[in-house]
Amino acid sequence: MKAFGNYHPAVLMVYFLSVLLVAMFVTNPVLQLSALSGGALFAMALERPGNWARDGAFYVPLFFMVAVTNPLFSHNGVTPLFFLNGNPVTLEAFVYGIAIGVMVIGVILWCKCYSRIMTSDKFLYLFGRIIPKLSLVLSMALRFIPMFKRQMHRVSRARRAMGLYAADSFTDKLKSRMSVFMAMIAWSLENAMETAASMKARGYGIKGRTNFSLFRFTARDGVLLSVCILLLGVTLVGTAMGEMAFYYYPRISHLNVTPLALFLYGAFGILSFLPFFVEIKGALIWKYYVWKM
Amino acid sequence: MVSVKKDVLAICAILLIAAILINGTEIQSVDEYYLTHIDDITPESETVTISIRCDTILDHYGDLDPSLQSEEFVPADGVILPPTEYVLRPGDTVFDILDRAARHERIQLEYQGADENSYGSVYIQGIHYLYEFSCGPLSGWMYRVDGEFPNYGCSKYELKDGQVVEWVYTCDLGKDVGAMWMGGSFN
Repeated sequence: MKAFGNYHPAVLMVYFLSVLLVAMFVTNPVLQLSALSGGALFAMALERPGNWARDGAFYVPLFFMVAVTNPLFSHNGVTPLFFLNGNPVTLEAFVYGIAIGVMVIGVILWCKCYSRIMTSDKFLYLFGRIIPKLSLVLSMALRFIPMFKRQMHRVSRARRAMGLYAADSFTDKLKSRMSVFMAMIAWSLENAMETAASMKARGYGIKGRTNFSLFRFTARDGVLLSVCILLLGVTLVGTAMGEMAFYYYPRISHLNVTPLALFLYGAFGILSFLPFFVEIKGALIWKYYVWKM
Repeated sequence: MVSVKKDVLAICAILLIAAILINGTEIQSVDEYYLTHIDDITPESETVTISIRCDTILDHYGDLDPSLQSEEFVPADGVILPPTEYVLRPGDTVFDILDRAARHERIQLEYQGADENSYGSVYIQGIHYLYEFSCGPLSGWMYRVDGEFPNYGCSKYELKDGQVVEWVYTCDLGKDVGAMWMGGSFN
C-alpha cells in the first residue's frame, strides 16, 4: 500500500525536503525524536511486517555504534565519567552521541521512505526539463544502492550455482564476497554508462521533446501542500526565535516547555506523522471495501 | 580441515589486534586523574608563575557561543586561574606546567597531542570549556612568557626559574591581547 505515494510529485518533494531539513539541522531532542518515530512508523507502513526484524538488525547496531563513537572523539562536557589515555570521557558526549544516533537513524529512515515513494519517473517528471543532466545523474545515484544489492545477490547466486562460491569457513566466505564485490564494481560502472547511452538514444534532454505522465495536481494535493508549508514555516520561525534552542556542550541545557514551545513541538509532530496517518487511512479504507464485498 | 585452521588463524589475528588496542589504553577514574603530586615550595626550589585569563571575551560577549554565555564558564572578572606559583621541575615546558595546574585546580583542559599535528607540539584546544572558535572565527588560546608571545608550541618552550606564564584567550587572532606577529599588521 502506498496511499501517500499517490500525491503529486511536487507535493511529495516539498514534504520530504521540509522534514529532512528540520531533522538534519535542528538539534532539539523532541524534534529529533518525533522525526525518528514518524520516519520509523512510515517506513514500517511501507515495508512488509516480515522485513521489520531484518531492518531493525541493521539500525539498532548502527545506533549504538554512533552513540559510543562520539565520546571517544569529543571530550567537552562538565561531567567526566572516567579518563581514557588522559582524555575525559564525559556524560555530555555520551548524550550527544545518542542524539546524533537518533538524528542519523531518523534521516536514513526518511531517505528510505523517500526512495520508496519518489521513484525515478516522479523525480525525472519534476526535474527532467529544468536540469536534465543533473536530474539523470541524481536519479541514477539514488537508485544505485538498491540496484547494487539486487545485482550482487544475483551474481553470488550465479557463482554459487557454478560451484565457485566456497562457504566452508569464514575466511573463505570473505574471499568469495570480495570477488563478487570486484565484479560488481566493473558492472556498476558499465551499467551507468549504458543507462546514459540508452537515455541519449531515446532523445532524453532534447529541446521540444514531450513527456507523458499521469500526474495531476488536484485539490487534495493543494491541501497537503499548504498544510506542509504552514507547519514547516511555523517550525522554522520557532527555531529562528530560539524557542527550540538546545545545547549539549558544555552542560546539557533544560528543555524549553513554555506553551509556545509545546505548540511548536506539536506542529512538527503533525508534520512528521502525516504520511503515517495517510497510510493508515488508506489501509482502513481498503479493508473497509474488502469487507463490504 | 584446512578451512577450520584458517578460521582459527583469523580469530587469533583479531584477538591479537584487540589485545594490542586494550593494552595501549589507560583507563583512570576521575579522582585518579586529578590526583597530582604538587611539590612544596621551599626557599631553594625553582618556581614559575602561571595564570589563565579570558578578559577579552567580556568585550565580545555577543560573539560567544550561546551555550557558554553564563557566569559558570566565563567568570565576571575574566580570571580562570589567578597568578599561582608552581615548583619548576627540570625540563618542564609551558605545557607541563599548564597540565599540572589544570589537574591540581580541576580545570577542564583539552589538547591535541604533539604526535597528532604537523607542528610537533601540543596544541591547546580548550581550557575551562572555552574552545578555539567559541567566540568568533579568530578566537583561541595563546600564551605569554614574561610578557612576550613565543612563536612556537607550548610543549617546546622550556621554562627557567622565575618566569611568568600567562594563558590568555584572544577573540581577534592575538591583536586584542598584544600579539602583533599574527595577522600581519603592526599598528
